[in-house]
Amino acid sequence: MSQRNWRKILFGASTRDLVGRTLLLVFAIITSFVIVLIFSQVWARAFPAIIILGPELLGPVWDPTVTEQYGILVFIAGTLWVTGLSLLIAIPIGIAGSLFLAEYCPHRLKEPLRLILILMAGIPSIVYGLWALYTLVPFLRDLISPLYIPVWDSLTNSFVWLSMEWYSGYGVLPAAIVLAIMLLPTIVAVSYDSMVMVPDTLREASYALGASRTETSIKVVLMTALPGVGAAVLLSLGRAVGETMAVLLVTGNNTTFPRWIFDQSYVLTSVIANQLGLAVGGYPLMESALFVVALVLLLLSMFFSITAKMVVSWGMRKQGLR
Amino acid sequence: MGTSKSITRELRSWFRLPKSRREFLDRLTFVFLAVIAVIITLPFFAIVFEVVANGWILLNPAFILTNMVGFAEGGIRNAIVGSIELVAIASMVAIPLCVGAAIYTTEYAQRGRRRARRWVQELNKWVIRIVEFTADVLAGVPSIIFGAFGLIFFVAVFGRSLIAGALTLALMMIPTILRTTQESLRAVPLSLREASLALGATTWSTSWRVVLRAALAGIITGILLAIGRVIGETAPLLFTTGFNFDAPWGFLDAIASLPFTIYLYALQGHTEIIRLRAYSTAIVLIGIVFVVDVIAVWASKKVGLVVRAGGV
Repeated sequence: MSQRNWRKILFGASTRDLVGRTLLLVFAIITSFVIVLIFSQVWARAFPAIIILGPELLGPVWDPTVTEQYGILVFIAGTLWVTGLSLLIAIPIGIAGSLFLAEYCPHRLKEPLRLILILMAGIPSIVYGLWALYTLVPFLRDLISPLYIPVWDSLTNSFVWLSMEWYSGYGVLPAAIVLAIMLLPTIVAVSYDSMVMVPDTLREASYALGASRTETSIKVVLMTALPGVGAAVLLSLGRAVGETMAVLLVTGNNTTFPRWIFDQSYVLTSVIANQLGLAVGGYPLMESALFVVALVLLLLSMFFSITAKMVVSWGMRKQGLR
Repeated sequence: MGTSKSITRELRSWFRLPKSRREFLDRLTFVFLAVIAVIITLPFFAIVFEVVANGWILLNPAFILTNMVGFAEGGIRNAIVGSIELVAIASMVAIPLCVGAAIYTTEYAQRGRRRARRWVQELNKWVIRIVEFTADVLAGVPSIIFGAFGLIFFVAVFGRSLIAGALTLALMMIPTILRTTQESLRAVPLSLREASLALGATTWSTSWRVVLRAALAGIITGILLAIGRVIGETAPLLFTTGFNFDAPWGFLDAIASLPFTIYLYALQGHTEIIRLRAYSTAIVLIGIVFVVDVIAVWASKKVGLVVRAGGV
């Protein structure tokens, strides 16, 4: 064979195609390997604590320095309080907002509103945290403290655990409020998308039957878009559980059980943010226990995003949209 | 969609009394929902106003162009340059990786199927599914987990450094860039590919010279969205970058960044000067994020891609 043929085989177009496609396949494998790597690393670090501590991990006391108790239940309780309250605020408002955007909003307002939502989602969480720390916390303190002491002292004589000297402004309430503000763009955008996908024929059929705009938008559009709204709720739940910086600054980070919304709390993400850097220096068991917290977070977020995806594809199949 | 009226028509119909209970309820719902919409956007204006009103006092060229001297003096040049370095290196890692993976899934695995053997087809179908699934799961992983992972994986090798922080951020950019690139590659009409292939070009040169060029604006949108998201992230940098009062370019040097600086200010306490400096830093950060986001939205309109609040 002549030299020319060899060159063609080694450097020709089809060889380049083969080499290129192999390289790209490697890239594709790397991108999907990242989540496997993260999961396995977190699992490997969490494993010693699970073996050594076992059921102690579900204890109510977190005190790694003095009594060396590593119960993460207090953080789970904190996350439940903050996430629950924030979703309670954000979901109804968010669904109403997306209904307005999809069905009622005048055309001229639609684009500016969507841009505001995109920018709102773009504001870094640390800036939300800063605002909450410097504005929301003092505001809530000044608003609630004067009412708090006389009203609740007289009211809670029978519920001693509710009474407190004064309200600091930190705690579940400001965290839930700032979290709700951060979740709103996601909820509105995702449920808006599913409402826009409702075919116009359904609306027209509803109007033809004499239904008013409200009846159409609630009974037809909202009901048809319900899977998408459910996905929005699940997605925002995942974000709420994983949100770190804004919540970290305003919950007060107190390792006692929050009993109601004016109590201070400590959430799963905050304890990693506050203590992991210290623990890696030379407290192997504490580090491992913190990775158990990370594992819980990782599993929760994976569960929520996978469920959201399943809900969306189920809803689309049900409506014959895909 | 189809039912929205113009503002003037809406207003005109308001000046007559409602004819029935149902019409009254209809209007009541409209007012209610409009109020809700205002309530949703109110925090945005409140936060931007609060940040700008407090932060502009300290904001001047010197504040942007000089390094920090301790926490209460000097400017924030080190944080600005540090943020740019981190995001630049993260992009250099993430962009080739994601664009390559997206080209594989859409150009090779999805379209080049017809001539391949049965088991190759099946395998490719699974590659597509796995890549998309893992990207979606990765998009939902909390940012603090990335920080913890960076600490045990990258910091163990490089120490708290620019490269460790940038690699951690690169992982966070993957889902956004990958999914947007896939979406814009899929939007390129099939006829372009067919014309190129009919001229005897391989899939490789078709992908690079034809499809990628046609999809470029969409891909840039995705990259900008990813940058806008990642530049404001604090949690992945908490354990991975350390802090520096200068902005060196050494890969193994500790580096400052805008969000991390804001976080440190927030921890420093409640003195007036620290508060104002935190807000000024926040103005710079928000400014960068908003510019990047607005460009991304503008670019997405050019190519007919839909940008949604809250990412992918």
